[in-house]
Amino acid sequence: NPIVLDLAYNSIDFPSIENRM
Amino acid sequence: AVEDLFTSLNRHIQRSEYEQAIKVADQVLSVAPGDEDAIHCKIVSQIKADNIEHALSTISSNNNFHFYKAYCLYRQNKLDEALESLKVLEKDPATMLLESQILFRQGKMDASVDIYQKLQKSKIESLEINLVAGLVSAGRASE
Ligand SMILES: [K+]
Repeated sequence: NPIVLDLAYNSIDFPSIENRM
Repeated sequence: AVEDLFTSLNRHIQRSEYEQAIKVADQVLSVAPGDEDAIHCKIVSQIKADNIEHALSTISSNNNFHFYKAYCLYRQNKLDEALESLKVLEKDPATMLLESQILFRQGKMDASVDIYQKLQKSKIESLEINLVAGLVSAGRASE
C-alpha cells in the first residue's frame, strides 16, 4: 500500500511561552 | 520562581530535550496546578518523545486538548475514538488532515481523498503525497 505521511503531526506545537519567562 | 522554570522549559524545548521538558513542566505544575501553558508544553513534549500513552493520561485529566487526544488515539489505532474526539472541533486544516489520515486507515479511501482535494487550495506541504496515496489506494490512480 502507498505510504501516507503523518501531516497532522506538523500541527502539534508548543505554545508561545516567551511572556512567561 | 515560575519564570525561571519557564526559562528552563524553553531551553529544553529549543534543544529538543523532551524528557527534561516534561520534568520541568511538572515542576511548574507542582507550584502552579492547572497552568495551561505548562500542561500544553507537557503534552506536546510527551508526544514528541513518543510517550503517547503518557500524553493521553495528561490529556485525560485536562480538558481543551481535543486535537491532541484525537491525534494520540490515532497513533494508538483507536480510530473510532479518534474520530469521536475530532467531532467537537471546528474544521480547520489540522483537524481535516487528521480526519483524512484516520479515514485512510479505516480504508475509507474516497472520503479520505475528498478531504485532501478540499485542502488543495490551502497549500499544505507534501499534501500531494497523501492525495496520490489515497487515489492509488482507492483505485483512482488515473486522476
Ligand atoms: K497513516
